[in-house]
Amino acid sequence: MAATTKTNTQLVVNGLLNENPIFRLALSMCPAVGISTTVANGLLLGVAVLFVQVFSSCTIALIKDHIHPRIRIPTYTLTIATWVTVIDLVLAAYLPVAYKAMGIFVRLIVAFAIITMRLEVFACRNTVAASFWDGVGMGFGFMFGMVTLGAVREVMGMGTLLGYDVLGFRPMLFFVLPAAGFFLVGFMMAMFNYVETLYNRRAKRGS
Amino acid sequence: MKEIIRITIALTLSCLLAGLVIGTTFIFTAKAKQHNEHLNVQQTMLGLLGYGPQRPAAPELQLHQVHRYIVKHIETMRMGYMLPARCSGGGPGYVWVELDLNGEFLDRHELALTPEAALSADDRKKALAGILDPGAEADFADTMIIACLGDRRTAYLLPGEFPGFKTFIKAMVALDADFQLLGLEVIEHEEDPGLGGEITQDYFKNQFVGKSFEKIKRLTVIKEPLPPDYERYLKSMGLGNSGLSESEAADIRQRYKEQDIHALTGATISSAAVTNGVKAMVKKFAYRIQILDQALADGDVKVLF
Repeated sequence: MAATTKTNTQLVVNGLLNENPIFRLALSMCPAVGISTTVANGLLLGVAVLFVQVFSSCTIALIKDHIHPRIRIPTYTLTIATWVTVIDLVLAAYLPVAYKAMGIFVRLIVAFAIITMRLEVFACRNTVAASFWDGVGMGFGFMFGMVTLGAVREVMGMGTLLGYDVLGFRPMLFFVLPAAGFFLVGFMMAMFNYVETLYNRRAKRGS
Repeated sequence: MKEIIRITIALTLSCLLAGLVIGTTFIFTAKAKQHNEHLNVQQTMLGLLGYGPQRPAAPELQLHQVHRYIVKHIETMRMGYMLPARCSGGGPGYVWVELDLNGEFLDRHELALTPEAALSADDRKKALAGILDPGAEADFADTMIIACLGDRRTAYLLPGEFPGFKTFIKAMVALDADFQLLGLEVIEHEEDPGLGGEITQDYFKNQFVGKSFEKIKRLTVIKEPLPPDYERYLKSMGLGNSGLSESEAADIRQRYKEQDIHALTGATISSAAVTNGVKAMVKKFAYRIQILDQALADGDVKVLF
């Protein structure tokens, strides 16, 4: 893949919709299935991924010419691990309140497929600026996916939204369990594909 | 061959660079992080004793820290306790007491250690080096905190850690003078958010509150959903706005007092880990403090608690 020709806005939208990490690329399914049980959990993990993705993408884009092609993957992992540790330490030192809520999410990120994949596919072939916007897009795309899943699972599983009781009863406890994550991700993927087909058909008719 | 050398050098350099970045961050953040952790522990301790923003701690409340050591004495092992006591000058100080493995009193020394200095592991080590026999080695084991109001012991606070689902869970348990459980707080953990991570939620950790020592010794987890009334009671504990009347709350407390711990949905391992961890901490502590009290009486050591 050659360097991208997309504008910054296109890069962000690309991460949110066309190449949404969860619903289109089907990457990082572990956290998507395991952790998206509530809106708050999804949002916090999304924020953590956003930061690590942006920092790692920029770092790799900056040093891409010096990476030996045979040790790309170790270098990516090292970069991600470094940023995760740095963010973890800084949060613990200067933002103890945020750390209390986000600490466990940040430490979980080291092994996320989506970040490594974005470094491999995008950051090591593009400029720092483009990688930054791609990172932002992917981060928000992941966050969007997690929050959507979290909202459905929280309402259906526990009858609450953001911790507030909205239904007054629990429709199906099943939605909180990990297995339900798979069903829901599959369902969402189908929806994304359906909307895309509709869109393409309309675009064809229009032309 | 040349390729291998280039790869090795590149990877080594990247690791060094990463190490440098992490190390620098650590140096800049270590102090603030430690300070935050200390504050957090302090707040947790007061919270477990029932104090908070609405209910400031009583001025006569004293938190005495007792540090336990394992002493390797050439061939034999001994237990060493660093206990807050009144020193010969009259001010607060620390005394070092050694017991043998059967709990018999062996020896005592006064330590040149102020209560402030006793908080730092390094200062404690220095003070110990002065009084230990040559060839003896003291390894720090744990700390327990004895809360006193006046000269009455009101509670024991036990910081500890036990294995969780993935890695260690750091927690603090509060017991009253009869070893009944006053509260449990999870200080640090890495359980999966949304599953095992729920161990920090009130509806889980408050299940431990009020369990008697006899019950704790036999405590296990059960895989049954939490009854709705019990859940409402657990969530509102300590908030005072449960919507439950006094008598209803007392009724629920009575009904579930002998109940085992309801496991978290989808996180039985984390739930069992916490239950077994708390059980072990309490059992070991109760055993140790009884032996220590007996030995202190035998050795006629006057301590502050």
